[in-house]
Amino acid sequence: VGSRIAITGISSQWGAALARRLERDPEVEYVAGIDTRPPPPALERTDFIEADIRSPILSRLLPSTRVDTVVHCGILWYPEPGRPPRTLHEINVIGTLQLLAACERTETLRAVIVRGSAAIYGCEAAAPAFFTEDLARQLPLRTRFQRDISELENYFDNFARRHPEVRCTMLRYQPEIGPGLDSPLVRYLTLPVVPVQLGFDPRLQLLHAEDATGALLAAIANPVRGPVNVAPEGTISLSRALRLLHSPALPIPHPLFEPAMQRLGARLGAGALLGDGIRLLRYGRGVATRRLRDEIGFDARFDAVEAIRDVAREATARRIGPDLHPGALARRAIGARR
Amino acid sequence: LSARTEYSNVPEALVDFLRGVRIGVEAGLDPLNAAQGAAGSLPGRAREAVEAVTRRLSGEYEEDEWGFDEQFAEAVFPIFEFLYRTWWRVEAEGVANVPSHGRALLVANHAGSLFPFDATMMTIAIMKEHPLPRWPRFLVLDWAFGLPFLSAFIRRGGGVPASPHNATALLEEDELVMAFPEGVKGTGKSFSERYRLQRFGRGGFVEVALRARAPIVPVAVVGSEEIYPKLADSPQLARAVGAPFVPITPTFPWLGPLGLIPLPSKWRIEFCEPIDISGHPPEAAEDPRVVFELSERVHETIQESLYENLIKRGSAFL
Repeated sequence: VGSRIAITGISSQWGAALARRLERDPEVEYVAGIDTRPPPPALERTDFIEADIRSPILSRLLPSTRVDTVVHCGILWYPEPGRPPRTLHEINVIGTLQLLAACERTETLRAVIVRGSAAIYGCEAAAPAFFTEDLARQLPLRTRFQRDISELENYFDNFARRHPEVRCTMLRYQPEIGPGLDSPLVRYLTLPVVPVQLGFDPRLQLLHAEDATGALLAAIANPVRGPVNVAPEGTISLSRALRLLHSPALPIPHPLFEPAMQRLGARLGAGALLGDGIRLLRYGRGVATRRLRDEIGFDARFDAVEAIRDVAREATARRIGPDLHPGALARRAIGARR
Repeated sequence: LSARTEYSNVPEALVDFLRGVRIGVEAGLDPLNAAQGAAGSLPGRAREAVEAVTRRLSGEYEEDEWGFDEQFAEAVFPIFEFLYRTWWRVEAEGVANVPSHGRALLVANHAGSLFPFDATMMTIAIMKEHPLPRWPRFLVLDWAFGLPFLSAFIRRGGGVPASPHNATALLEEDELVMAFPEGVKGTGKSFSERYRLQRFGRGGFVEVALRARAPIVPVAVVGSEEIYPKLADSPQLARAVGAPFVPITPTFPWLGPLGLIPLPSKWRIEFCEPIDISGHPPEAAEDPRVVFELSERVHETIQESLYENLIKRGSAFL
C-alpha cells in the first residue's frame, strides 16, 4: 500500500513544487492539497481541498482523507498581496494550532512534518557561528516572526509529546533562493543597486529552492523526531554574494536602513524585507546541518556559494531596470565613445 | 639609461592594456573579464595586480564557513608586519611550542585598553616565525561583532565571537584557537595594575579544551600593556556608546584620532610548553576540581612567564 499525504499551502510555490515531485512518485498513492486558493493547473492527481487552515472545519475534512503523513507548508515568511503583515500571525500560529487539532482526530496519521523556519534562532552579533538544534530560544525573541515561530513550535512540541505514535519533524529552514523563485529576498538580491548596511557584512546560508524541496522529500521518507536544521553547506558573505550576482551594493548607515527599505522596497519591487530580514542582513545566521546529513540522510546539491552562482546565471535576465554594475557601466561608457 | 626606458614604457603598456580591454568589450566580454584578458600585455607585477583585483571584484575568491578570508588577511598582513617588526620590535620565543598540525588552544594574557593587538601580534609571530605557519583563529568579545566595520574586519581576519560553542566547533575542525580568558577584566585594568593577571573567568576555556581533547599552550605577551596606558575611564561615555568601558589614556581622547596611534613599546611574546591534558577524559570537563586545577596551572605559568619576560625586556620603550 502506498503512502497517503496531505500538504497544506498547496498553492504556494513551495507546496506546489513538493506536490509535483510527489505526484511522480509511484510509491505515493494519494496526495491532498489544502489551501484557500486553487493550486497551479500543472498538478494532475492532487486532490484539492479548499479550506482555510485557520478554521475548525479542517478537523472534519482531514480525517476523511485517511492520510498517514501531513506536510505543513502553509507557514508564511513574508506578507503577500491579499495577506497583509497583520494576518501572518494568524495564518502561522492559529493555522498551525487548527491543523494540529485536525491531526489529533486523524487516526491513520503516522507522521507530521512542518516546514518551519530557522528564524527561531534570531540573528545576533554574539550568536554561535553555527546554531545546533538545541540552541533555540536561548537568546531573546526580538521580531514578530521569530515569536510566531517560537509559539507554533511550542504547540508542535506539545502535540509530539501527547502523541508518541506520530513522528513529528520540525524542519527549520534557512531563507531560500532560486533562479525560478519569486520571493522578496531574491528580488532584493537582484535589484539594480542593492542597499546594504554600511560596515556590516553578514554570513548567510541561503538554501537553493531545489534542495529545499529535496530536503522535504527526504524528511517525508525518513521523518526523524524533533527539530532539524535545513541549510546548505558552508556560508557566504553578503558582499561576495552581491559580487557574484553582479549587483552593486549601496551602503546605507544601519539606523537608516530599515526606513530606506520600507520606502524603496515597495517602489523597486524588493517587497517587504521587514523585521527578521533587516537583522539577517546585519548580523547573518549560520546553522549546523549535522542532523540533516546524518539522521535524515539528505545531502544538499548546492552549497552556499553554488546556490548564489545558480541564481546569478539567471539574474541578468530577471533584472528590473538597468544594469548598474561598475563593469556594465564601463562597457556602456566605452560603447558610447565609439 | 635603463630607468628612462622603463619610464617611457609605462604609458605605452597602459595604452596597450586599455586597447586590450576595449577590444575585449567590443567582442562582447564582460569588462572584468576583458581587463583580465588584456592584462597579459602588462609587465609582471602590474599584470598580477590587475588579475587579482578583477577576480576579487567578480567574487572569485575563497572564504571559509566561518567567514575567514585568506586573501584579505594576506592583503592587510604588511600593515601588521610593520607594527610587529618596526613599531613594537616584537621578539617571539618558543614559537615551535605551537603544534604544527592538529588542534590546540592558545591561552594568553589580554591587554591594550583601547584596542587589544595581542591576538594579531601572536598571529604574525606564528605566520612569520613558525616552521609550518598556519592562520590561527581568535575569540573576540561579542560586543565587537555588533559594531560596523570592525565586525566585518575581525571576521575576515579570522575572529569569531567568544563562546564555548564556537571554540569547541573550531577545535573540532583541528584549528589553532586563541583565547583570552581574562576578557574585559584584562583589557580594562588600569595602567598601575599592568602585567597582573586577572581572574580567568570560571575556567570555561579548560572545559572547552577537555571536551575537544586539545592541548593548551600558555602564551605570555609583554609590551601590550604600554600601547594605550589606561589612566582612568569614563563610565558616562561608556554608557553613552554602549561599550564595556572607555579608557582615558595620555593621548586619548585628547588628541582625537591621533590618540588612536598606539605607543611604540617594546614587545616580547613567549609561547610556553603545551600543557598536556590527554590524561583527563572528556567527562572531566564536568569536574570543577580538575577544571579549577588546570585553570590555576595555566594562570601560574603565564604569570611567571610574564615576570621573566619583563626582566628580559628591560626598558619598556627603548
